[in-house]
Amino acid sequence: MALKALDIYKLLPKKNCKECGDPTCLTFAMKLAGGKADVDLCPYLDEQAKTVLGATTRPPIRLVKVGVGERSFKVGEETVLYRHEKTFYHPPGIIFRVTDTQAVEEIAAVTRRVKNEIFTRVGSDLRFNGIAIENSSGSPESFARAVAAVEKEEAHLPPILISRNPAAFPAALVHCGSYRPLLHAATEENFKEMCALARQHGCPLVIMAATLEGLVRLVKDCTAEGVQDLVMDLAPESLEDFITRSTAVRQLSITRQVPELGYPVYLDAARTGRQDAALALGIVKYASVIITTPLAPGPARAALTLRQNIYTDPQKPIQMNPGLYRVGTPDRNAPVLMTVNFSLTFFTLQGYLESTRIPCFLLIVDTEGLSVLTAVAAGKLSEVLVRDSLKKFGVEEEVAHRKLIIPGYASPLSGRIQEATGWKVLVGPRDAAEIGDYLQEEWKKESSG
Amino acid sequence: MTYDVSFGWTGTIGQVTLGATKTDGGTRRVAYQLGGGTTLPFLEEKSASCPPLIAFEVCDDPAFWSPIIRDYCGDVVNNPSEWAKTAEKTYGADLVRLSLTSTKVRNFSDIGAVGKTVESVLSATGLPLIIEGSNEPKIDSEVFQKCGETGQGERLLLGTAEAGRYRSIAAAALAYNHSIIAQSPIDINLAKQLNILLREIGVQRNHIVIDPYTGSLGYGFEYSYSAMERIRFSALKGDADLAMPMICSPADTLTIKEVREAGTETRDEMAVSWEFYTGLAAAAAGAEIICVRHPVTIGLLRKAFADLTRTAAPAEVR
Repeated sequence: MALKALDIYKLLPKKNCKECGDPTCLTFAMKLAGGKADVDLCPYLDEQAKTVLGATTRPPIRLVKVGVGERSFKVGEETVLYRHEKTFYHPPGIIFRVTDTQAVEEIAAVTRRVKNEIFTRVGSDLRFNGIAIENSSGSPESFARAVAAVEKEEAHLPPILISRNPAAFPAALVHCGSYRPLLHAATEENFKEMCALARQHGCPLVIMAATLEGLVRLVKDCTAEGVQDLVMDLAPESLEDFITRSTAVRQLSITRQVPELGYPVYLDAARTGRQDAALALGIVKYASVIITTPLAPGPARAALTLRQNIYTDPQKPIQMNPGLYRVGTPDRNAPVLMTVNFSLTFFTLQGYLESTRIPCFLLIVDTEGLSVLTAVAAGKLSEVLVRDSLKKFGVEEEVAHRKLIIPGYASPLSGRIQEATGWKVLVGPRDAAEIGDYLQEEWKKESSG
Repeated sequence: MTYDVSFGWTGTIGQVTLGATKTDGGTRRVAYQLGGGTTLPFLEEKSASCPPLIAFEVCDDPAFWSPIIRDYCGDVVNNPSEWAKTAEKTYGADLVRLSLTSTKVRNFSDIGAVGKTVESVLSATGLPLIIEGSNEPKIDSEVFQKCGETGQGERLLLGTAEAGRYRSIAAAALAYNHSIIAQSPIDINLAKQLNILLREIGVQRNHIVIDPYTGSLGYGFEYSYSAMERIRFSALKGDADLAMPMICSPADTLTIKEVREAGTETRDEMAVSWEFYTGLAAAAAGAEIICVRHPVTIGLLRKAFADLTRTAAPAEVR
């Protein structure tokens, strides 16, 4: 049973020493109650309090950091099965794989791609997260050479080292051991050696087993060996294996039914033989580290976009700053289109307007991020708001005409907007896709006549 | 697995039958049974699992279609019945979704032509048919009436009913025993409300497929994804007014900037990736019919669905 913040507070030292990183014991208690902090951060707790608190307040899924510096990423600390219940917090790292049988130039090229490739969408930069180097050759020397080739690019990307042979790691770790690489993988046979490596270099470790029981055993074994930062490879042979096991792990860990399963999930997308499908499913169904071969432009963009969508906080509408935006270089006779500051409305409309090649003004009014339909229904979009926005953003000084195109879904307001603003109101299409045709036909007619 | 992963569901997704074979008084080669799910998608025990259906979209006026698809499919796009046949024989779709885009032309009035198109498509393919009727309230009644009548006995799926606009389509469905697509703007409550409205005028639950509206990947897809998850979740918790199968129709996918502005060498790949990622994610959220416009997407989705359900073919009604 989860404890309330005040119950937790009673067990804390109430010194407000700030050593946990929080300003007061009460704020720390609130974080613990929300599963957002670890009891071990408090140096003054007695063992009994720790035991009581540990079981109920530790985040149900451990936060694990991979890599160091700007490009490092953290995964875990998720609390829900459905994103709409709260949100998904830490987007999965999507990692490009190279093998030590590839030429050094190829490895370097993939590294540079991950280092430099950026897609900008809805104001955010989307990137791939790291490089996985696989010891396919079986030779420790080749493995080390491949890792050196990656590090030579000075991309500072989080590395993932993959080998079946624990003896292959030491030489490779010479090149990246201090950058918190993720090591793959500890199994029932080799966990002692793998734990020793992880301890020595202070790096996170992937454990791999095809059953939940096997994973629980490995978690117990590895934590007993002193390695806490674990990531779990569920070793799926098919997409069905993955979705079944991954959902089970998420459900059993967030409900604390099997607290030992409270670690982020690792997915080798190629292993199932259906890489694109595994990548898409991994993103929506709880994978935290996803390994893939370097992606072609289509899947690359689709995967990053899906990840951005799914990890958007559903509690916050995405908003644009209200104001007067320009598409192309509009002159004083250019059309003025009004819409809301829900960013998807804005970006969708902007996309279509750009392709019409008709320069225009886009007046974005503040509906607190609501879409046109909901803003009209909720009364957030009103003639007063439109009138004030026209004035505030100086639209009258920009154009010689007094004609305003409003979204189709705002048509119930057209009369009132016309009255309040003195502008002639033209009702545009409901669907942004039709804005091009609308401007070609209706606006041309309107502006010439 | 010895750990008991229990969600405590009590409900079941209601079943809807699409298409009618000879024994049921129709002329379809196959018919499908949607629904029947008792847990989250792809987590069913083997006996209950059937892969989502893949519907290929064709239209009767390709001027309203993406140039990417026109170029890829070639001349066949000018002939809806040939296109539907190709969808079945060559592309390997489970369903054909016919969009009557011809009715979008201003002052359209040739209702007779609509009937002929539907008739020719029905005779060209043995697959069950989804028909997307007019986009203009003024001609809805005549268009849906004509579609319903022409497809009598074939158990069509007619689209698309919305809160302000469902009577004509419901009348056609009721008169000729077809099912309908009930679309709401990415909102579980509105979806439920529409289903209740439909029930009140006599449309049975086993004749409704919910379309929670699919925002394109990158343009609001996350809202659709969550709406689908919530509808499935409510249905499994026992809300019978939401316990219908869902359809995902990412019709906007091919008009988004990323796809539209891709160069000629990459635009097919971009279109397919976008449809595939959207369709697969929607299926994971609970959609049981995935509509696509690019033929290449069909094979990719089919392989993924087969792998997810350990089956080779969709659940056919015999």
